[in-house]
Amino acid sequence: MVEQLSPLAQAFRPGSHGNFADGVGVTLSEIAPGSIVQVAAWPREEKTLMGAIASVTQLSLADGAGAGAVSERHAAFGFAPGKFLVTDTSEGLATALAGAVTSSAGTVTDLSHGRTAIRIEGTKAEWVLGKLFAVDFEQAAFPIGSGISTAHHDIFAQIQRSGAARFDLYVFRSFARSFWKMLCHAAAEVGYEVV
Amino acid sequence: MSPRRIPSGGRIDRLRTIRFTFDGVSYAGHQGDTLASALLANGVMLFGRSFKYHRPRGVLTAGVDEPNALVTVLRGDVREPNLPATTVEIYDGLVAVSQNRFPSLAHDVSAVNQLGGKFISAGFYYKTFMGPAIGPLKGTRFWMMCEHIIRRAAGLGRAGHAPDPSRYERMNAFCDVLVVGSGPAGLSAAREAAASGLRVILAELDPEFGGSANWSGETIDGEPAATWASDIVGELKEHKNVRLLKRTTVWGYYDGNTIAALERVSDHEASPAKGAPRHRQWTIRAGSVVLAAGAFERPLVFPGNDRPGVMMASAAMRYANQYGVLPGEKIAVFTNNDSAYLAAAALAKAGASIVAMIDLRRNVGDACRALAKAAGAELLTGRAVVGTEGGKKLTGVKLAHFDEASGVISGEARAVATDCLVVSGGWSPTIHLASQAGARPAWDAELQAFLPPEPGKGWVGAGAFNGTFSTAEAIAEGFAAGRKAADLPPVKVDMLPQVEPAALDPRPAPVFEIRAKGKAFVDFQHDVTADDVRLAHLEGFVSVEHLKRYTTLGMATDQGKGSNVPGLAIMAEAVGKPIPEVGTTRFRPPFAPVSVGSLAAERFGDLKPERLTPMHDWHIENGATMYSAGLWFRPMIYGDPGETVEQAYVREAGTTRDAAGIVDVSTLGKIAVQGPDAAEFLDRVYTNVFSTLPVGKARYGLMLREDGIAFDDGTTWRLGEEDFLMTTTTANAGKVMQHLEYFLDVVWPDLRVHLTSVTDQWAGAAIGGPKAREILASCVTGTKVDNETLPFMGIVRGEIAGAPVMICRLSFSGEMAFEVYSGAGHGIHVWEALVEAGKPHGMVPYGLEALGTMRIEKGHVTGAEIDGRTTGRDLHLGWMLSKKKPFIGSAMMDREGLTAPDRLELVGIVSLDNRPLNGGAHIVMQADPENPHGSLGHITAACFSPALGKYIALALVSAGKSRHGKRAQVSDPLRNRFGPVEIVSHHFFDPEGKRMHG
Repeated sequence: MVEQLSPLAQAFRPGSHGNFADGVGVTLSEIAPGSIVQVAAWPREEKTLMGAIASVTQLSLADGAGAGAVSERHAAFGFAPGKFLVTDTSEGLATALAGAVTSSAGTVTDLSHGRTAIRIEGTKAEWVLGKLFAVDFEQAAFPIGSGISTAHHDIFAQIQRSGAARFDLYVFRSFARSFWKMLCHAAAEVGYEVV
Repeated sequence: MSPRRIPSGGRIDRLRTIRFTFDGVSYAGHQGDTLASALLANGVMLFGRSFKYHRPRGVLTAGVDEPNALVTVLRGDVREPNLPATTVEIYDGLVAVSQNRFPSLAHDVSAVNQLGGKFISAGFYYKTFMGPAIGPLKGTRFWMMCEHIIRRAAGLGRAGHAPDPSRYERMNAFCDVLVVGSGPAGLSAAREAAASGLRVILAELDPEFGGSANWSGETIDGEPAATWASDIVGELKEHKNVRLLKRTTVWGYYDGNTIAALERVSDHEASPAKGAPRHRQWTIRAGSVVLAAGAFERPLVFPGNDRPGVMMASAAMRYANQYGVLPGEKIAVFTNNDSAYLAAAALAKAGASIVAMIDLRRNVGDACRALAKAAGAELLTGRAVVGTEGGKKLTGVKLAHFDEASGVISGEARAVATDCLVVSGGWSPTIHLASQAGARPAWDAELQAFLPPEPGKGWVGAGAFNGTFSTAEAIAEGFAAGRKAADLPPVKVDMLPQVEPAALDPRPAPVFEIRAKGKAFVDFQHDVTADDVRLAHLEGFVSVEHLKRYTTLGMATDQGKGSNVPGLAIMAEAVGKPIPEVGTTRFRPPFAPVSVGSLAAERFGDLKPERLTPMHDWHIENGATMYSAGLWFRPMIYGDPGETVEQAYVREAGTTRDAAGIVDVSTLGKIAVQGPDAAEFLDRVYTNVFSTLPVGKARYGLMLREDGIAFDDGTTWRLGEEDFLMTTTTANAGKVMQHLEYFLDVVWPDLRVHLTSVTDQWAGAAIGGPKAREILASCVTGTKVDNETLPFMGIVRGEIAGAPVMICRLSFSGEMAFEVYSGAGHGIHVWEALVEAGKPHGMVPYGLEALGTMRIEKGHVTGAEIDGRTTGRDLHLGWMLSKKKPFIGSAMMDREGLTAPDRLELVGIVSLDNRPLNGGAHIVMQADPENPHGSLGHITAACFSPALGKYIALALVSAGKSRHGKRAQVSDPLRNRFGPVEIVSHHFFDPEGKRMHG
């Protein structure tokens, strides 16, 4: 299979940038999962769908808006009522989920090429994201695994907390380069490393 | 040693000398100085010129309420005007200049305006400069010249034209409790709320936390108040749940406890740290807010009260105690309340000579008498200052007997030599944020001040903000407010902290003005005098809102922090009503000026994000000239060296018709329509039927709005029984998505259909031309692309260079054409493979100009024709309006107005004079350049057609079809283009479609 080409291109500049004299506050990377899939349930079929997600990914999703879970290989979170974003480090997740989700329960939409996954990690991750999104990123309000749909002006973003100081951001591919530049700009104050 | 710097004391760092310039003169100050304190320390008294009269002005206050000492700070070519010198922190290399003066601050020619005071009183703009109604200047631009001169003569600072290179940022924050103000009340509240473990933000507009504790000279429980404050700040820093924001002005209180605050991150530094913003705009969502914003001391209104050397008493005290600066050597004090006695004591302790303690009250308490005596001041009760002397600085004051009840001045005026007069006219709580929150201020006759009303749902007040001027009581109130904000049960406080010296009586005499001869200023910044207020009343402006607008009282950058209450009091007296009956203006954001850059924040210089197709970089590398289409960037042409745009697109379109061309169509809107009811849904939203579309086929569809007007068009591909891929025009993708979601969510919630934007999932490349099939066949594997396997509107799946692709045979150019969709991440890979496969066949990439040319030749419509006014029939798409089913718009599309025979219809236009046509040009029967009229319609798109060898256009013309074959004229007066045209069918080229059907 042909490798996917990153939309960040020359805007992705590995190394340290900004005010990093005393260390970097965040690291930025493109995580490029093999699969990014949207799974959407018909009304009252959410539980069925959550079961299907669990059967494919072994991720157990709790009830409630934005609830999610992460594992080494998979991540999943609810981003809208009855709708979930599910990822896999490998390709083929859409096919696997399509096999588990019946048309009476919901739909599966492959977005592996349509969304770009960007990771921000570090002690200043919440600070940097706070510049761009009107979201309470403190861990008490935004626990590990949970996710949210939000927007930075014109750019729609889905964000999942995948670690204590780590967030994975999913943005439309066509906006990814612009968003990446803006994220780097916002991170310059605390120093950032692109890896 | 600077002439006015006290040898010791204050909170400045005397070991750190800072050098700066003001009006080109070098001065030295210390770390911790403001520009005002540093200049005062250097003996500078003249800071600026007034707005209208160009009167010399000094420093009146020590904070954000400063109306007089406004300066412009220069950083390179960037000017920032109207900054209060009282809030500008000095740094090495600071360059500040005075403003509103010419040629210099000391010698300002416009000071002559003072002589014309009567002629330029309130409202003179409205009354005088209406333009000559009679005489030789009537109807000339004389008034415009006058206006120019007046605008130059009056005003504040001058903005620059150089671009601001500073960074500005935004920050979103969430907390349980926001405390505004870090004086004793605010610190007490923050400590109590923080101890509960809640998330607390403490915002302080000054560079240091502590508020009045830093300069009051008080002790709290035996230790200096400043130490008490710094101990609490130290405690708060230990809390992980506390965020301390200094240099942060909370300026807006919005619904839902959304608070706006401006942090001045690096204004106090010669250059910001790498990546650091200059200003940070905070949006704080707070569970509850403690307003502990303190109070502003207000001036007394008396003749000459604006002379440099006249200063607020609390400001003088602050300069002495915080900055180690004496504002004068021989200081007189003038007050209507007790608080000025503390200032007198502090100034005397700092080394000043208090030459007179002038109190307009006849009866003064023992505590005040003791303070006056300790200060060595002659106590003159029942007296008032009736005038000041001096030019650019105060040399003396005149005082006379005064009856506080009647306001009558009596006896001979006595002169007192002094170089500084400190004044106190009482205190106005800083209720701005509570007012913004929707609360109506309540007048307190005892304190002669507007107080906040009962706390609203989201906030609670404490300290001087509430009219509680005793530090001990403010601390107790802060404690209670902190608990309340944190939703903790109230605790009875048995004993207040011990604060020395003990609080004095906070009640001032109800006197705001001393009416004597001379200009007595109410609003210093806008040069509004007490007589102006009375004049406004005489001329019928009885409402406080009208007073404000007519006199401009309180409308300057200080927003009347010191002038609103005195102005209102004078108006009330003129009207003969009590102050609360006259009313007060409500405060609105911002509390203090906010940089525009900080509002734009990270959008500065990047108004819109760029939206790029997967092949964007290839286009650039291959010489494309790009232009924006909404947020997208698309190739216009791939010009060869020396080619004009027309030459390039004619070459690209011609080559495509002769051989083949390839174009990036990734920007087309793409929506996944999935679910058991997807086909039914499409039948309802499209005018034509989709439920009969077989899997593996595509169909062109038209959507109408509910009112029957055409909305959007595109092809929809059936990928599975319950799985459709809808394409929309690039420009309308978002609108179509909203349109569909609205109907699904609101009108037909019973339909089981999911919509997902998959525009970015797919890269699209359209190849067209006689060689297109051959090219495609040479590089695709896993499928055939012959007519049988891939008929018109058929869909097949295969691979190109190892990447999975979906190919649909459809055509916008009118040629045999195929749209090749691949995963966006494979887009450039597939594109390059197609380009390589096309090389032996002479295929060229083409841009939107060539695409537009070929669609005009074919008579295909786009947004230029689907313009929100046309119907399907207007565009000759009546054949798509199904009669077998209802659809959105079907009920309204046959309205009389939409079926009228003279409606604008799509036609083709051919230029008969072989000159270009332009979009927007009118079609008329007879062109009349002198009197353009008689439009039959307009051109929507135009080009040179390489297929026809002519300039052609599409147009919407009244009863257009009936005019086919007729002559008309193009009338384009804006571009001076007139000439003969022929109206023809919009199908210019291959009307039978032989080329695309093969």
